[in-house]
Amino acid sequence: MHLAWGPEEEAFRAELRAFLEANAPPEAVGRGMEPELEEGGIPDWAREWQALLFDEGWLVPSYPPELGGRNATDVQTLVYFEELAEWGIPRALHFPGYAIVSPSLLEFGTEEQKKLVPAAMRGDTVWCIGMSEPGAGSDLASMRTRAVLDGDHFVVNGQKVWTSYSMWSQMCFLYVRTGAPDSKQRGISVLIVDMSTPGIDVRPLRQSTGGTDFAEVFFTDVVVPAENLIGEMNDGWRVTMGSLAHERAGLWVEWIGALDHLFRRLVEQARARGVIDDPTVRRALAAAYEEVAGLRALGYKGFATYEKAGAAPEHALLKLATSELRKKLAQIGVEIDPTPESRRELLGSLSGTIGGGTSEIQRNAIARILGLPKGY
Amino acid sequence: MNFSLSPEQEMLRDTARALVREHCPSSLVRAYLDDPSVADPLDERLQEFAELATGSAVDLCLFLEELGAALVPGTFVPTVALFAPFADGDVSRTGTIAVRSPFETPAIEGDRVDLVAVIDGDQVQILERPDGELLEPFDLSRRLYDVRVRPSASNNRVTDAPKDGLERAMVALSAELVGTTRWMFETTLEYTKTREQFDRPIGSFQALQHRLADMSLLYERAWASVYWAAMAIDADDDERHRAVHVAKSSASEAARHIALEAMQMHGGIGFTWDHDLHLYIRRAFASEEILGTTAWHRDRLAELIL
Repeated sequence: MHLAWGPEEEAFRAELRAFLEANAPPEAVGRGMEPELEEGGIPDWAREWQALLFDEGWLVPSYPPELGGRNATDVQTLVYFEELAEWGIPRALHFPGYAIVSPSLLEFGTEEQKKLVPAAMRGDTVWCIGMSEPGAGSDLASMRTRAVLDGDHFVVNGQKVWTSYSMWSQMCFLYVRTGAPDSKQRGISVLIVDMSTPGIDVRPLRQSTGGTDFAEVFFTDVVVPAENLIGEMNDGWRVTMGSLAHERAGLWVEWIGALDHLFRRLVEQARARGVIDDPTVRRALAAAYEEVAGLRALGYKGFATYEKAGAAPEHALLKLATSELRKKLAQIGVEIDPTPESRRELLGSLSGTIGGGTSEIQRNAIARILGLPKGY
Repeated sequence: MNFSLSPEQEMLRDTARALVREHCPSSLVRAYLDDPSVADPLDERLQEFAELATGSAVDLCLFLEELGAALVPGTFVPTVALFAPFADGDVSRTGTIAVRSPFETPAIEGDRVDLVAVIDGDQVQILERPDGELLEPFDLSRRLYDVRVRPSASNNRVTDAPKDGLERAMVALSAELVGTTRWMFETTLEYTKTREQFDRPIGSFQALQHRLADMSLLYERAWASVYWAAMAIDADDDERHRAVHVAKSSASEAARHIALEAMQMHGGIGFTWDHDLHLYIRRAFASEEILGTTAWHRDRLAELIL
């Protein structure tokens, strides 16, 4: 166990720093690694930034150069995330293309389908993920959007919801029911769907915060070519697991980076409001710092586990812990600075423990890792 | 921050684990309060590892974590973990510390060691077998001794306390406490897998599963915080000044929460004298107070970060 990385990793860091100093757009710096989308879609600077990262081999460093990387090692990838977190720079304002679609196509796609990857990674085509449904939230395996194979094409009928980026997407990575209605995980397939196909209706959903990041997507007799099936029929559940498994060992750095960012803002707020000497505020901030620092250490411990065993149970804990902590920080923000803005921040933070698997689902998963029997 | 254990570190941990499994059963811990000499053979065995006192903080923590998981009593822990930083690492005689300021901590095993380092702010004086009074025991595995300082005595030499002495002691104690917490967590987890009610293991109920998940998170975060601090000490990095406070208060917080949950999940059987759980809970509650309470550490941390 030791605190610092070796000279090779530090050389890698220096190279990345030089690139960021020369190229990082001012709009990106300090924005935080999990930024909110802007109204009206993905701004030009974000598109150009993502494309530049891809072209220069800094988008997914562990990939080969033709896929936006530079064959970086696991530790180098971790250093990459550390540095982005330090600068508060997001890689892109929409992640499905490079984080979910591309790795899945590379692993399960046909040669023809793999040709979609560079544009998806570069951000030239914007992808959305059609997963959740009104009746299939935490119980994802009960999804009902149906695809029926009819000769050389599927016919899709159903509804998706909370579909982020769908208003601005050209393509959809769509989960459909192809097995019997009660076939659960065993009867799900994944289709590539062109969003301009007739029969697709995207209706933006206004969120409780007032913003609009996602939409409902309705499919009525939508015709999808049979060759757009990814992987085997009824094997879609496996495809869900394909997303950047090798990057997952370092993705937590983004979450911690975002918390760090929030923490620093809280300290500034406390100074600005003149409550930095209030003992209650000081203790709350110290406890928050303690948690952020401890979770960062836990992330690194998980990385060591991953290096040794190829998987890290610690990282399941981090999704739960970081999203819950974000809510705690937002509450401290309201204490420090009781304004509509900090209350909006608190309201906004509540989505973090719902999206991407609720905290309850995360705790179920942790219980499995702990070897507890199936729950009731 | 590289958390990978070297083969030597893994071996050290395994050796400690095997040693306490064989030589520190809970019956010894229970007998200790009435007759502390029962731990003498164990103390003698542990002497073999006295060089940990001057070695890397990570190694010391790995070792103490295992001792904490078995509630090892006796003079080895206070000598190697607490006293050594104030004695230039010289542990040829047994020792412990008593802290007067910036907080108060009585001397662990103060009536059984050769030397007591009395720390008062940035000064320390080493006393030989000082007078004092045994405090009413709460942690049955540990004797707390209130040292009476005689300022005029000829063997009292007041010197500057090594600046980082308390930091190393705090991390060492936190590692031991994390070991104690690990036992409570693992024992409770196992119990919920085997104890059946309503025809199924109680660990199959979500009401417990989600709480066990939270316990595992608190434990893992405390563990990682402690070793981060130990690494920072070994690297002599400025980070260590903050990390030691994070380590101690995270370890205390995890210990408290898991102690309460462990008792609740064990139910009536856990509340009996015969069950070992109370021995661990007593140690956990007592260690929270030693070398600074959580509130003290948070206030100190606030001074450093705000």
